[in-house]
Amino acid sequence: MIIDINFIGLIIASIMASAVPLILASCGELITERSGVLNLGVEGMMIIGAISGFALMTVTGSLIIAIFGAMLAGVLISTIFAFLTQTLITNHVATGLALTIFGIGISAMIGKNFVGIPGKEFPVFFEGLKDTIPLLGPILFGHSIVFYFAFALPFITSYFLKKTKIGLIVRAVGDSPESASNQGINVRLVRYACILYGGAMSGLAGAYLSMIYTPQWIENMTGGRGWIALALVVFSTWNPIKILIGAMIFGGLTIIQFHMQAIGVRIPVQFLTALPYIVTIIVLVVISRDSRKIRLSTPSSLGKSFHKDN
Amino acid sequence: MNTNLKISNVTKIYPGCVANDNVSLEFNSGKIYALLGENGAGKSTLVKILSGVIIPDEGKIYLNENKLELNSPLDAKKNDIGMVFQHFNLFETLSVFENLIIDSDEQREGLREKIDTIMKKYNFSIDLDIPILNLSAGQKQKVEIIRCLIRNPKVLIMDEPTSVLTEQETSELFLSLKKFSEEGILIIYITHKLKEVMQLCDEVAVMRRGKLVSVSEIKNENIESLAKKMVGQNLKTIKKKKAKTSSDQLIKIKNLNFTSEDPFETNLMDINFSVNRGECLGIAGISGNGQSELFQVLSGEIISEKNSIEFNDNYIGDLSPQERREYLMAFSPEDRLEQAAIPQMKIFENVALNNFKSSNFFNNGLINENKIKEHSKKIISDFNVNTDNIELKSQFLSGGNLQKLIIGRELITSPDLLICFNPTWGLDVGAINYIHETLIKINEQNKSIILISTDTDELLKLSDKISVIHKGKLSKIMNAEEVTSEKLGILMGGAN
Repeated sequence: MIIDINFIGLIIASIMASAVPLILASCGELITERSGVLNLGVEGMMIIGAISGFALMTVTGSLIIAIFGAMLAGVLISTIFAFLTQTLITNHVATGLALTIFGIGISAMIGKNFVGIPGKEFPVFFEGLKDTIPLLGPILFGHSIVFYFAFALPFITSYFLKKTKIGLIVRAVGDSPESASNQGINVRLVRYACILYGGAMSGLAGAYLSMIYTPQWIENMTGGRGWIALALVVFSTWNPIKILIGAMIFGGLTIIQFHMQAIGVRIPVQFLTALPYIVTIIVLVVISRDSRKIRLSTPSSLGKSFHKDN
Repeated sequence: MNTNLKISNVTKIYPGCVANDNVSLEFNSGKIYALLGENGAGKSTLVKILSGVIIPDEGKIYLNENKLELNSPLDAKKNDIGMVFQHFNLFETLSVFENLIIDSDEQREGLREKIDTIMKKYNFSIDLDIPILNLSAGQKQKVEIIRCLIRNPKVLIMDEPTSVLTEQETSELFLSLKKFSEEGILIIYITHKLKEVMQLCDEVAVMRRGKLVSVSEIKNENIESLAKKMVGQNLKTIKKKKAKTSSDQLIKIKNLNFTSEDPFETNLMDINFSVNRGECLGIAGISGNGQSELFQVLSGEIISEKNSIEFNDNYIGDLSPQERREYLMAFSPEDRLEQAAIPQMKIFENVALNNFKSSNFFNNGLINENKIKEHSKKIISDFNVNTDNIELKSQFLSGGNLQKLIIGRELITSPDLLICFNPTWGLDVGAINYIHETLIKINEQNKSIILISTDTDELLKLSDKISVIHKGKLSKIMNAEEVTSEKLGILMGGAN
């Protein structure tokens, strides 16, 4: 059997494409969690982003409005979360769960009129260069702007957290909101900003699904990717580069197990479907074993409400 | 350049408590001022007002005749008021340098130079690129001080700075503070330790229950007069009678080793000692030298080799804390609210946690609430815990009352051996006195104590024998009468 080297390139490219929404949502949630806020509403924010993007694209016909509109929708819904958890000091976990349930419900309601409408083609870059380099051509070229952004994002996030002053402040707030407040840092403002940013990235991840990955609206189309994104953040021990690795493994196994099912490998389907989840977690746990590093990168105040008393 | 700081008629009222009642004070640079008072006297509230963390209900603050608007910590910083808090305001997982740059407007390189200059000038040596959680308490405090010094403060406020420091670190701190004062920084030093006030300060203001009791010069005061002003009554000083020498060995530790997987813990190396009945063995040391690991090994939180601990002729090295309790050992850990008690649980529920078999707190898996409550009431009255509400959540007890409750809970089973770790850390004089009396009483009843403490005065007062732990190794065991605090200090620093 001759294996076409470009075919392997195509498979890798499809793995990368399936990793995009995970990377976007995880990197957004990572910033939120680094500031000490646990937002379990990622799935809800993603699905809102998905329907908003698709609906705006259909109604206005503008892809740019649709993409930014989806991010704005993510910001808006996360504002609810921020208001509840930061201003009204509600419990992070309960509020986040409510947000997901709310998101899934409202997206299904809005989406009623958009079922069955075909999507639009999303412009891709360097399409012509695809065949110029074997293997690497399909991997590097012919993708949407969101794709390239997603693969740059973990590195940008890492640089932001390590090298910039604002990144430092985000980490400080996540480490000890009390100390940060006593140092004159506006903890509530920082956390609002981080929550809203997480919302924008989740919205973008959703829009990628409904506008680029599978350009159509299907109810509940995020299919648990928001939860995977959340798990990736934790198992990567809040490290953006490891999120990239985890998302690739997860995406890769999802694609490969589809192919295995298609070829008819004699392994129970249920096991194959579960495989990406199991392997991703095992790999991330193994590469993140260093207890010292875990201690240093875990936001100590994660999920704890901060209330400034006077 | 003189600095004059004036507090005028400051009042702060919390529900059910007047933290500051019309307090007026004036400070001038060139002197070191002590603000003295017991826990809850309102000192911390007052300095938090000065540093902008708390906003007063009434009153004004003037710096060099200018009225200050201190609505946030930033305002205090802008007005050159620096503050080192009792509980450090540091970010544990960030590096020292990151901690310092976070509230600085300077560029990285410029700031590094500035920090180096400060460290050279005051003889500090701290690695700027390691995370804060790798530092000792003394080093953390230096980071806090550097953070203030970067801003060239006019006023430096130190809130109970020595509660976590060793003798050596304390004298180093005092030298630095005197140097700062000579350079024209106005120093306000908050404490409840009388000895320190006498050693360091020029003037002292005493607070009691939110009110300013007196302002006077140190040369007109002595420890007794200050104690009387602070507590409002005469304190009886207690002394330990020399223990009857007994050769009846109660606990024997032989070749005990502990190697930790956690890089932030200290390994214990070849620990050997024994304690006789009726004896108190004190273990001194700078915090972070293996005390908490030693405590955990002794209490059974960390299991060791069966033969390494012999208690009452039984080998118990591999038993859990619960099983060790059955052999009549009792434990009072360092951190009252994290390890000894559960803050969100009620007093009587916390009492039930110490569940030894004969207590009958549980019947067939059900909680015997009446029995526990009865038992709790007994502890509260026997051990002078200042509350009558056993339904109160433990977090609302003051440190002293909580410590009394914990010691009471441990002692009510009349154990043969009590192991305690910094039992009076952060407590006020009254509570310390009570705890010390209780510990002395235990020895008088021919029961034994292992007292792990960073407070040398306490060790010298209570121990019959003393050893020093340094980097996980114990020094030879000395008779307490032959030991001075200087000698302990030298051993604690690792010299022979």
